[in-house]
Amino acid sequence: MPDAVFLFVNGVPQRISDHAAFGTLATFLRTRLELTGTKIVCEEGDCGACSVLVGAPSEKGLDYRPINSCIQFVFQLDGTHVVTVEGLRTGGALHPVQEAMIRCHGAQCGYCTPGFVVAMCAMYEAGIEPSEKSARDALTGNLCRCTGYEPIIKAVLDVDPAAVRTINELYPPETMLGPLREHVRTARRLEHAGRTFYAPATIEEAIRFKSENPGVVIVQGATDIGVQHTKRGLQPAVMMTLGHIPQLSELTFDRDLLSVGATVTLTRLEDFYRDRVPEFHRILELFGAPQIKHAGTLAGNVANASPIADSLPFLSVMDAEVELTGLAGARRVSINSFYLGYKTLDLRPDELITRILIPMPPSSEILKLYKVSKRKNLDISTFTAAIRMRIREGRIEGARIAYGGVGPTVLRLPRTEGFLEGKAFIPDVFREAGETALGEIAPISDVRGAAAFRNRLAGNVLMKFYYESAASAQEAAR
Amino acid sequence: MGSVGKNLPHDSAVGHVTGGSVYVDDIPPMRNELVVDFWWSPVSHGTIRSIDLEEAAAIPGVVGLYTREDLHANLFGPIIHDEVLLAEDRVLFMGQPVVVIAAENRDSIRAAKRAIRVDIEELEPILTIAGAVVKHETIGDPMALQRGELARGFAEADHVIEGRFVNQGQDHFYLESQAAIAFPGEEGEITVHSSTQNPSEVQHVIAQVLGLRLNQVNCLTKRMGGAFGGKECQATHPAAMAALVARKTGRPARIVYTKDDDMQVTGKRHPFENDYKVGFRKDGRITALEVELRSDGGAYADLSTAVMGRAVTHVDNAYWLPNVRIRGQVYRTHTPPNTAFRGFGGPQGVATIENILEEIATVTGLDALDVRLANCYGIDDRNVTPYGQVVENNNLPRLFDELITRSGYRSRAAEVRRFNAASPTHLRGISMTAVKFGISFNTKFLNQANALVNVYLDGTVQVSTGATEMGQGVNTKIRQLVADELGIDPAHVAVMITSTEKNNNTSATAASSAADLNGSAAVDACRRIRERLLPLAAELLSPQNSDPASIIFEEGIVRDRRNAEARLTFAELVWQGYLRRISLGERGFYATPRIDFSWLTGQGHPFFYFTQGCAVSEVLIDRFTGELTVLRSDVLMDIGKPINPGIDRGQMTGGFIQGMGWVTTEDLRYDEKGWLLSHSPTTYKIPNIQDVPAVFNVDWLEIGNPVNIAGSKATGEPPLLLAISVWTAVKNALSHVSNGKIARLKLPATAEEIVMRLAELEEGARAEATTASRTHA
Repeated sequence: MPDAVFLFVNGVPQRISDHAAFGTLATFLRTRLELTGTKIVCEEGDCGACSVLVGAPSEKGLDYRPINSCIQFVFQLDGTHVVTVEGLRTGGALHPVQEAMIRCHGAQCGYCTPGFVVAMCAMYEAGIEPSEKSARDALTGNLCRCTGYEPIIKAVLDVDPAAVRTINELYPPETMLGPLREHVRTARRLEHAGRTFYAPATIEEAIRFKSENPGVVIVQGATDIGVQHTKRGLQPAVMMTLGHIPQLSELTFDRDLLSVGATVTLTRLEDFYRDRVPEFHRILELFGAPQIKHAGTLAGNVANASPIADSLPFLSVMDAEVELTGLAGARRVSINSFYLGYKTLDLRPDELITRILIPMPPSSEILKLYKVSKRKNLDISTFTAAIRMRIREGRIEGARIAYGGVGPTVLRLPRTEGFLEGKAFIPDVFREAGETALGEIAPISDVRGAAAFRNRLAGNVLMKFYYESAASAQEAAR
Repeated sequence: MGSVGKNLPHDSAVGHVTGGSVYVDDIPPMRNELVVDFWWSPVSHGTIRSIDLEEAAAIPGVVGLYTREDLHANLFGPIIHDEVLLAEDRVLFMGQPVVVIAAENRDSIRAAKRAIRVDIEELEPILTIAGAVVKHETIGDPMALQRGELARGFAEADHVIEGRFVNQGQDHFYLESQAAIAFPGEEGEITVHSSTQNPSEVQHVIAQVLGLRLNQVNCLTKRMGGAFGGKECQATHPAAMAALVARKTGRPARIVYTKDDDMQVTGKRHPFENDYKVGFRKDGRITALEVELRSDGGAYADLSTAVMGRAVTHVDNAYWLPNVRIRGQVYRTHTPPNTAFRGFGGPQGVATIENILEEIATVTGLDALDVRLANCYGIDDRNVTPYGQVVENNNLPRLFDELITRSGYRSRAAEVRRFNAASPTHLRGISMTAVKFGISFNTKFLNQANALVNVYLDGTVQVSTGATEMGQGVNTKIRQLVADELGIDPAHVAVMITSTEKNNNTSATAASSAADLNGSAAVDACRRIRERLLPLAAELLSPQNSDPASIIFEEGIVRDRRNAEARLTFAELVWQGYLRRISLGERGFYATPRIDFSWLTGQGHPFFYFTQGCAVSEVLIDRFTGELTVLRSDVLMDIGKPINPGIDRGQMTGGFIQGMGWVTTEDLRYDEKGWLLSHSPTTYKIPNIQDVPAVFNVDWLEIGNPVNIAGSKATGEPPLLLAISVWTAVKNALSHVSNGKIARLKLPATAEEIVMRLAELEEGARAEATTASRTHA
């Protein structure tokens, strides 16, 4: 069994078997490889200054995506090619993105610039057509305090796409693919100074390892564990990553039921929902930065059990199910009974979340999702809501309402749902429903907002739902 | 054809985009280097009973633990010497350094922090301005400006309103957190690389606390990863801590704050709570204004009194105030010392009056723009500021006129009214505000600079000034000015690392004036070199009838304008000069003329000139969630003739968006003990790329500036103040549903603030309706 992390950085092979494997990629790049272009700023994946491209082997070669290197553990990059800002300048020639940034004054102090350059290059890797909107979307995960972004947007539009060579052209994948594929073919286990990292190749191996190591921390996207590591010094003794188990990365759609494997990234989910459920797609768009969504998974969002997890209100009103697999086999639990309390799950020690099953919203119903946050993009929610119902002949049927940020878990509001059942679709009913909802929630005051604000929102979103749905309800009535 | 006025790239642009630019923490560590950090007070106010370092000292890898007893002197401060580097018997704010830790690695630092035992008796902290007012906890003397007769002004008024304007602070959120590396030298010397806007201040504080002479300390600053005022004074603390360790251990010492620590321990933009009483006529003209400014200075003075000075002198903004009294007082609280931040009190003063003008509009029923036009400074009359300075070269009326047309303000304001009458779900607001920003340090003696220019034998040049590069492009501008003065290619001019060894007794890179001051000093040095070379050039080019007055330096060539044939390259002239033993280096100096001001009289000429501008912003508000979208902003400024239009444009876009953050989403939240809850980008939301207005027009009128270098104007701070238009647009939106009443609004206008204010208006309307129906019955 291989006992070292193996990856390429800017085309150069690296084998890591010491403590650096358990540290962050950003620190490894800056201190071990002296690639100081990658900046460490927030250490929580919220500013993008540490962005690097990670190439994972795929059918077409290496598939490059931007991630935040400050919250990724080096062992997670096992079997990949990492390209830093330094690696984009090849043979002394600047990348067209770098040239455009110079021309358009896209850099002032320069500290965020490497991250922006990397994120801009990532647009070409993903085949994104440059436009003002796509530039904003692709650079949502990068903060700049100097330029006001406008010169950076101009720079994106100023790049000559014909001059851009993809990373696969700059770094021919042929020489790297063989060794990388060979390395990840079987399970890997690295032990150093009392700490273990395990990367199974099958679900069976993963479950066996988990049952033998009940304290194991599963690190997949590391968008939360990574932050706990950098901010609170969390250093789990045993960690496992599921990234090389093929079945877990499957995303399948069959008879109105979507099956989302445990390692499916939020980006892939966002792509799936784009045209199918625009309402949830909009929430996924706001969910986080591209760098976060390329790393983070839906399973991670579910397992994290946060009362303000952006996916949960939708999953709740859709009555999604979580598939748990353990030594005794697989079982399914409704998302609405999966949470036993604040951050407490109905999950046995040997069990893993293997899939999440989500029905499609019927076209006869209205579904609205809300996310209220201090800043519209790249922010953690203050309050979230999902409201789903059918309006027939001016009457409400089958109301389902879930709120986040108003209790220890995402809450369904059964009394409000019951109140609405059969009532007329008129503003006064929704105003009254807001009063009922107040009795079902218990928000607290915190950094994201006062309890009074959340209480107000709890009523307001019902009114918002009414006004936003009035048009479609009238249509349905006809 | 010179390079001034050309859109050259930033002189570090290639390094920035390739990751090659070196910041403090990118300097490769020396083999014996130590990591430095500090243990800071976990309480806002308390008495230190004891400090026990025994357990921490025993941790492997811990090399030194230092308290105030290890310092030669502890007291410092840029204006008032009231600040200590390490806490003495009391801690005065959460985050105050108590113990400096030096260790071989980060793990040992972390362990040491946990093992340090400081017994603190917690005392009741003062955490608000109101609390400090009650306890009479002030910093510095009150300041006042007064003109005319208030009583007469109020008597002439058709309406009088009284109110309070409240703004929160703002974190600088420079991407590069505070950082420094200190190297011990021979004979007690210390060399420190610091991410500072003020290398001389770092030099002074280090010498002070370590008991060194100034000539034993050298501070170098290559560049900063952003600063915005936050590294004007507060970069001294980490630099001094690193220097202390270097001095005690004889080893290089590096300190780099984490973003969380940085946000928790450093000061911010000052919160203000300002009371005002304004009298005005039906036509919106102000007849009398009385304003009482109160700021939260934090635990130590830092620059708070100077910030208040700028606030007091900016309340008038673009508007003539016939009878006026503006008073200001800084209050002391138990929070980190608040400090310089782009605008330096100007934004708080300007937001105060722009808020008042919106309220006058509500009371008179006029469009707020017409209220502003009615009060705008005149060209020939109504043009004297409350401090007695005439607003010369007043381009405000022209800027207003031009932007009203360009932005289509009138028709859009009408459309906003129509929209609000029809939409049950959303509100729109539109507002136009102005800025008249005084350029010069309010403190006269700071308005000086020196520069060192060295010409080398190949005709290339190195320039060193006291200006520090934080992204604003001052080095690029100096490069262009020097290149033109010597008639050479800007690529042959290198602006060197800022160092107290080359430029002594420098002022901070601040007050938007670094290019004005240091550029002028550099040009002065170049002129002297040129003058020394002129007779030689004349002689070489026209030996028969040499005439120095006919010599031209242009595009790397030295010519006699009377004789097209004769020419020398600049490098050839330099070589000939060298052979004739002519000095090829020079030190230039500049002191801003004309400025003078005294707080004793509140009268004078504090500013060399004014940078001016206007902005129109339109916002969309979700009535249910408070979600705010800035739909469009138009910015039009008078920034003189830009030395580098691309760089100045970047100051305008960047300043505006940074100001937009202050007035909208940047929400500093503290718990009841004074603990900052929003101390990283997860919880503290600076504008994101998606927040940039969908339509964002940024432009300037190229009017020039008769008094300043190359006809340019300072652009660093003024555009930030134009983002106040976003906030007043929110206020305007609320006024559409306030039923003729003044809509209250705090700054920033967060979603929460908007939802709660809308709720208040709704409940007010409901209560009124109930009362009305009862009366009717």
